[in-house]
Amino acid sequence: MYYIRKMRSQFNSWALLSVIFSILILLPALLIMVQLFAESNENWEHIKEYMLKNYIVNSVTLVSFTGLFTVLIGVSAAWLVSAYKVPMHRFFKWGLILPLAIPPYIGAYTYHGILNYTGVIQTSLRNQFGIKVDQKFFDIMNIPGAVFIFTMFLYPYVYIITKSFLENQSSSLIENARLLGKGSFMTFIQVVLPVSRAAIVGGVSLVILEVFNDYGVVKYFGIQTFSTAIFQAWFGMGDIYSAIKLAGTLMFIVVLILILEKVIRGRKQYSYSTSKVRPLQPKELKGWKKFAVLSFFLSLFALAFAIPFIQLLHWVYMTYDVILSAAFADLIWNSVFVAAVGSLLIIMVALIIANFSRLSKGWTGKFFSKITVLGYSIPGAVIAIGVLTLFLFLDQKVISLYEWLGLEPTLVLSLSISMLIFAYVVRFLAVGFNSIESGFDKVGTVFTEASRTLGMSVTKTFFKVDIKMIKGAIAGGFILVFVDILKELPLTLILQPFNFYTLATKTFQYASDERIHEASVSSMVIICISALSIFFLHRVLEKEPK
Amino acid sequence: MFVQIKDLTFRYKNSQKPLFENLSLSFKQGEVSVILGESGSGKSTLLRLIAGLEVPSKGSILIDQAVMNDTFRFVQPEKRGVGLVFQDYALFPHMTVEKNIKFGLTKMNRKQKQARMEELLTIVGMEDYASRYPYELSGGQQQRVALARAMAPNPSLIMFDEPFSNLDSKLQLQIRDELQEILKRTGITSIFVTHDEEDARAIGDRIILMNNGKIQDEGRPEMVLQKSKEKLSLAYV
Ligand SMILES: Nc1ncnc2c1ncn2[C@@H]1O[C@H](COP(=O)(O)OP(=O)(O)OP(=O)(O)O)[C@@H](O)[C@H]1O
Ligand SMILES: [Mg+2]
Repeated sequence: MYYIRKMRSQFNSWALLSVIFSILILLPALLIMVQLFAESNENWEHIKEYMLKNYIVNSVTLVSFTGLFTVLIGVSAAWLVSAYKVPMHRFFKWGLILPLAIPPYIGAYTYHGILNYTGVIQTSLRNQFGIKVDQKFFDIMNIPGAVFIFTMFLYPYVYIITKSFLENQSSSLIENARLLGKGSFMTFIQVVLPVSRAAIVGGVSLVILEVFNDYGVVKYFGIQTFSTAIFQAWFGMGDIYSAIKLAGTLMFIVVLILILEKVIRGRKQYSYSTSKVRPLQPKELKGWKKFAVLSFFLSLFALAFAIPFIQLLHWVYMTYDVILSAAFADLIWNSVFVAAVGSLLIIMVALIIANFSRLSKGWTGKFFSKITVLGYSIPGAVIAIGVLTLFLFLDQKVISLYEWLGLEPTLVLSLSISMLIFAYVVRFLAVGFNSIESGFDKVGTVFTEASRTLGMSVTKTFFKVDIKMIKGAIAGGFILVFVDILKELPLTLILQPFNFYTLATKTFQYASDERIHEASVSSMVIICISALSIFFLHRVLEKEPK
Repeated sequence: MFVQIKDLTFRYKNSQKPLFENLSLSFKQGEVSVILGESGSGKSTLLRLIAGLEVPSKGSILIDQAVMNDTFRFVQPEKRGVGLVFQDYALFPHMTVEKNIKFGLTKMNRKQKQARMEELLTIVGMEDYASRYPYELSGGQQQRVALARAMAPNPSLIMFDEPFSNLDSKLQLQIRDELQEILKRTGITSIFVTHDEEDARAIGDRIILMNNGKIQDEGRPEMVLQKSKEKLSLAYV
């Protein structure tokens, strides 16, 4: 009886649309899961027998060491920034986030370009000082090198979440520890680490997902992982079947990690959204301590941002006249087009699901919001394979429909731009959704309810009230998604239509062809747009009065 | 009876025990009823159920002989013609006072809207504030705008959730008297929620004493309050 009541009160077009979108989002992952248990073929048997162990070992090694180092660097930077004042403090606060603007694959080829035989370091040593060095000290195209790259460009995930936790949530605990006469180091070990555990775990699990998602770095460095294996199966052998099996296995591992994250994090959320919390007051540092902290910040910023950035600038200066052409304008247009359309769609779908989910109290709403998050956890290559399977299947149906009607089959969906954009929506919906959901959380439901008692339907309320009150969240979500799509590599590589390149895939192609100087211009465009968005989101929006 | 609630059962999703079990209650046309009860006794929830913002698991609600909610029917809040003044007013922060008041006037043309808006501003004594934004008003002024906004569409029933809780005591008295005067003049059926006996006595034609989701007593203010006092003193003895 209760469910009849519930249905009567809640069934509307919002519910219907949310259900439809959620099914669409789930389909690619479901298809992969189903196929994971399908019968085996010879190729897959071969992969399983001889290579799978290698993929797992490499992936796990990369993930563990990157996780460890990002925690070490991210947490200590977050603690030092929030607890102490050093010169240029305000700059470092958001400057240490900037490395996030450099996608790891760009970082990888840039560092390789700096360190290799013809790079700036070795040539200077040779020409200025006549020193010839052993190549093995300068080779980063191996697992430790990849760990270095991932750590440098991904530690900001840990840094951001831990920093905002420390700044906003923990002031009383830390001040108490200080009052009780604990030294800084002991405060850090005994208080800061334990209380921010949930935040750290949240940050590092983002890092881990990014490492699993990566294709550019490992491919460039020649390290065999799941992503490279999926590419090998699909492009190298045309074996979608093995690609699906690999994708399924990887998805399984990722799900395990997500469960592990939940267990470690426990019931604690890393952002308590209580309204008024006193921010932590940073202490002034003096003497050698000031010097030590400052040099830590400076070297981190140099390694993770300034050095690769300056190197890229130099390459841009060397190559821009060759690169800047009509073809490059096309490239920018392609990238901006797919990113803009994808972001718009994502914001629309996210608005619909988020609005439905917050207005329908209880488990239905929670269920839908969980589904949308799924895509972000699944590596891009896996989603690409899932989407490809779905569209190949649809194409078969469409073709037989045309044949049945006695027409020439003209509408082919797979490897079209719409397929690519659909895949972006699946992969990045969570990014837009989180932003919009937290916007809704902040305003609550009371204005919506007021509007409804004044005679406005859910839909009218949405346009007249709800959407106006979360403008900032919508803009923020749009920017985040836009930048994510702009940088996206593995999924785009698999799904881009014939002769269609984005800035990211073109960069990668140049780099793979050892034309790293040419890759610099498109890299620079990506980095500058990302950096602008970081500046905007972390400096402009943060300052806005609440 | 204008509002009839029969056998209403309701439980919040995340609580074990139902807040209301087989609650029955009714309100007369043109009467000012006050629901008096301690914090957490379920006063706001009852208003939300009448307004259609919560869905009961059992029972029925009728307003003006029309079924709002039973096993097979659910009239959406916007179709109920019920005005609600929220505990914290919920004025739309992105709209001026004028826009806030015109918000619910969907069936009027521009001229009618303007006239109705001005009429209401005069009633609540806020003629000079039409172009202000909510955050530019004091608590008492916001409260009056919220009242005007809820009354503007001419609801057949208007409900107030602790309307005086954010006001200092002097303003509280003033607004209470104004409100009583407005309600008497318009003859609108109204339900008040409060935990202040003084307010209840001053404004109510009838008091409903609520405790823990149950109705302990109801009737004329003097009688209900007298009885509860006796009980209290008995308890002390
Ligand atoms: N959204 C909610 N979810 C779960 N429980 C709730 C929710 N809102 C209220 N409750 C619980 O229901 C009970 C009644 O709450 P209600 O807000 O109706 O009380 P009230 O009489 O209006 O109190 P107050 O005078 O403090 O406003 C309380 O025990 C409260 O904890
Ligand atoms: Mg209340």
